[in-house]
Amino acid sequence: MPVWQAIYEELKTNNFEIISVAQDSGGEAAAGPIFDAANVSYTAIIDVNHHISALYNLVNVPSGVWIDEEGRIVRINEGTYAKNHGSFGTDEYAPIVRDWAVNGADSPYVWDKDQVLEHIFQRTEDAERAQPAFLLGTHYFTHENEEKAEYYWTMAQELDPDSWNYLRQDLLYEEGGSAGPEWRARRSAEEGRGETYYAPLEIEEQVNQ
Amino acid sequence: MKRLKILGSLVAGLLISGIVGAQGATVLYNERVIEVANTLPDATDLWVAPEDLTRINDFVLKPEGACLDALCIPVLQDRDSEMFVRRSGQAWFNVTVLADKLQQAHVTDYEDGIWSFGVMPLERTPFLKGGIAPDFELTDRDGKLVKLSDFRGKKVLLLTWASW
Repeated sequence: MPVWQAIYEELKTNNFEIISVAQDSGGEAAAGPIFDAANVSYTAIIDVNHHISALYNLVNVPSGVWIDEEGRIVRINEGTYAKNHGSFGTDEYAPIVRDWAVNGADSPYVWDKDQVLEHIFQRTEDAERAQPAFLLGTHYFTHENEEKAEYYWTMAQELDPDSWNYLRQDLLYEEGGSAGPEWRARRSAEEGRGETYYAPLEIEEQVNQ
Repeated sequence: MKRLKILGSLVAGLLISGIVGAQGATVLYNERVIEVANTLPDATDLWVAPEDLTRINDFVLKPEGACLDALCIPVLQDRDSEMFVRRSGQAWFNVTVLADKLQQAHVTDYEDGIWSFGVMPLERTPFLKGGIAPDFELTDRDGKLVKLSDFRGKKVLLLTWASW
């Protein structure tokens, strides 16, 4: 978050905005202190319903979407750590964000429409039903009906097993937590199948523009 | 005693308006939570008054059908139909059948009368086929409504993260 704050302060006069959206059903109590600690001056939203992930077909955090001046997506669905944290994260993403903030459409990291469509995560029909189930679970969670929150959050996970967000939000309130044994087992199973936990960063300059 | 009287007049009022047996519902749609005072009781479907339809999903019941902007889904209204009935002078519209026609996902907790609706596929097309950023309205930490479309003319880095 400090990396984004620095980039924002440096480039906000360049027609550049950051909207940072916490996917946190625990609301202000869960995500607020982290925003506060980073002292962010860009737009900070706490999205209890994971609405942004639902709208943009994002299944993991952190994820990033680049939206140009006309409202077109020019990059989407990447694991967007601002820096390397030892065993996870990357130092490669922040520099390309900076390049785009400065150069806009002339940035070599901007994707064309076909590339964007290729990178939008494809959801099954079942997974489309996961969103209203999760929404219902969050409604119950907010109203402190844990039994029904668990029921509908579980339904959301079964309908959309690709969503790490639905899984980990729920695990947070269970023994073991969001990065506990169940999450680790699922992650290694997925990676064992040759899949990646994060969509890999594809940082190549687009030369044919 | 006074309480009983109030209750009595309330029951009488309901009898006159012909909505005895009506029950409320809570509807979740995107970021909206809509409390509907009266529905037409039904074991599987959600029937609401036309004005509540608009509160739920912005569709307006017109002579030509249920309409959202330029889109109109034809609805027979001179007789009972799958989306429309009239009972004791009150018109009722079937929100769940409309959702099915629009292939809009929905999940219901029947016990508590809570209906949760997904994003309409027709609103997804510009994103899925055209790479257009879906608009959203969310409240930021300062209580200000943030609309993506208000950022036209700027480059926006939209980031998701989580505390968990």
